[in-house]
Amino acid sequence: MAAKMRSFLTMLGIIIGIAAVVMLMAVGNGSKQSILSRMQGSGSGNLYLTAGTRATVLMGGFREQGGRPGQSSSSTKITMDDLTYIEENSTMSIIVSPVNTTNLTIKRNSTTMSGSGIFATVNYFEVEGVTVADGRAITQGDVDNRTRNVVIGDTVATTLFPDESAVGQDIRLNGATYQVVGVAAAKGETMGTSVDTSIILPFSVGEKSFGMTRNVVSRTTIKCVDPTQSAAVTTEITDNLTRKHKKVDFTVTDVAAMTELVTSSMTTLTTLLAAIGGLSLLVGGIGIMNIMLVSVTERTREIGIRKALGAKEWDILGQFLIESSLLSILGGVIGIVVSVLGSQFVVSRFTTTAITGSSILLAVGFSIAVGIFFGVYPARKAARLIPVEALRYE
Amino acid sequence: MSLIQFSNIRKTYAIGGVTIEALAGVSLDIGEKEFVAIMGPSGSGKSTLMHILGCLDSPTSGEYVLNGKDVSKLRADDLARVRNRDMGFVFQAYNLLPQMSALENVLLPCSYSDRSLKAKEIRTRALELLERVGLSNRMHNRPVELSGGEQQRVAIARSLMMDPWILLADEPTGNLNSKGAREIVDILKGLHEEGKTIIYVTHDDNIGAQAERVISIRDGLVVADEGD
Repeated sequence: MAAKMRSFLTMLGIIIGIAAVVMLMAVGNGSKQSILSRMQGSGSGNLYLTAGTRATVLMGGFREQGGRPGQSSSSTKITMDDLTYIEENSTMSIIVSPVNTTNLTIKRNSTTMSGSGIFATVNYFEVEGVTVADGRAITQGDVDNRTRNVVIGDTVATTLFPDESAVGQDIRLNGATYQVVGVAAAKGETMGTSVDTSIILPFSVGEKSFGMTRNVVSRTTIKCVDPTQSAAVTTEITDNLTRKHKKVDFTVTDVAAMTELVTSSMTTLTTLLAAIGGLSLLVGGIGIMNIMLVSVTERTREIGIRKALGAKEWDILGQFLIESSLLSILGGVIGIVVSVLGSQFVVSRFTTTAITGSSILLAVGFSIAVGIFFGVYPARKAARLIPVEALRYE
Repeated sequence: MSLIQFSNIRKTYAIGGVTIEALAGVSLDIGEKEFVAIMGPSGSGKSTLMHILGCLDSPTSGEYVLNGKDVSKLRADDLARVRNRDMGFVFQAYNLLPQMSALENVLLPCSYSDRSLKAKEIRTRALELLERVGLSNRMHNRPVELSGGEQQRVAIARSLMMDPWILLADEPTGNLNSKGAREIVDILKGLHEEGKTIIYVTHDDNIGAQAERVISIRDGLVVADEGD
């Protein structure tokens, strides 16, 4: 009974070590996957053009073509003229989607909700990968004529029109009446915004009814038709706009480059987390070695008897190695179960987790290696005892 | 033909810088099927002699030829093979493994054999040996559930498991009462009559007198060697 308790306590070191490795890797991989899925939702080969330079928070990684960090951005702006200039001077195939946004109070009969208004051109749908599930999209006619036609997001549609089709119905935005011409398909969150809780309005309506400065664009998404050209397009846009503005007062962000950066930095983070877990595994391994050394001492006489009966060094070595490996493998398996349950039911409440096959393989391999590595020294010690000395041990 | 030849066997121990000579040059010749008692006071070196005979320890110098083969220069694993195949060893303290039953203890030497053994055959043999030492009804008992005499009989059965040439017994009756001791001596005598070579150590004159040849050791040297 005492021996079982001792074995369990020893195993606990390995259980905690393996669980730490697997769970920390799960947190690392989970964060990586969730960030990447959010970024990739925006479509590959998309660039973002914004006014003003930005202090480079993540040093060196972003493909930022900018001036001095921290420079004031209030006096600079991107205009429709700039976008026309970029389109006309582009040697590669690009689609430009200017967007302004505002917060809206959306009302229909007695139902009120808040959402964001996206003032967009016809290019918006293709560039952002937004499809219309019902009705139609915003047309060039809507933009040209400043028509109060809107496309509403899926969440907005189900909230305001739970039992009927939204298309053709009227809604009130900040007190004025608009007609719903389409409902966008549900898409989820992309780069921090969700089309589901938004209303898409013709770009010109923002200037007419929401006090937006004429021709000024707050954010522009530029889609490279060939995603592999994103780096070249970034350079070209930067060069052209710098020439037009005679200074760098804007920022072009390449999602592909950002994705690459995030991938590599998250991989580093995951490795770091695994290394921290590995430390506790090392401590667990030392625990195994300790208990095996105690076991060898306690069983010196047994080793002597076995040797007197003809046990060779390898027989004794094998016996103790099997024992230490079993301890660590069993501890490893329990550790994996603990970490799967733990990350499923506990850690996942706080952050995204993803247990990958490779982290489990790593954990199993590690626990076998720990058992053998930390078992070898005590086992060799046992195997090399001289029979008569071992027999004399009381 | 002699089975065991000791030529000038010496064994010295260095303990805390002091060299102690346990065997100071022992030469012996023991033939097949002999029944030998080694006698001497404690500290005379008889146990050391026994350990070297049993290949549990190596001599510091000298030559030990066992059945025509020099075993004094063998490596550890080869000595283990000799112990497994050619010798049976019986200890004063029985030395059964406490976590195993009598039967499992008897079967233990088979796990270290080079020969491929059939599980059924070795089990039959182990049961026969237990029967022969009168313990068929105790084969599933653990050592703690057996008396000293019973434990020693299990140990004898174990020593015979691999059918060795030689049976070595180091004070086999040392921990037993006179009845238990007599039972053990009777078994040894029976084995001798069947043709086993038997060498045992004792400091009890009565037990020693049962042997056909008595070798007396004192201060690491043979001082008397008398046959019947």
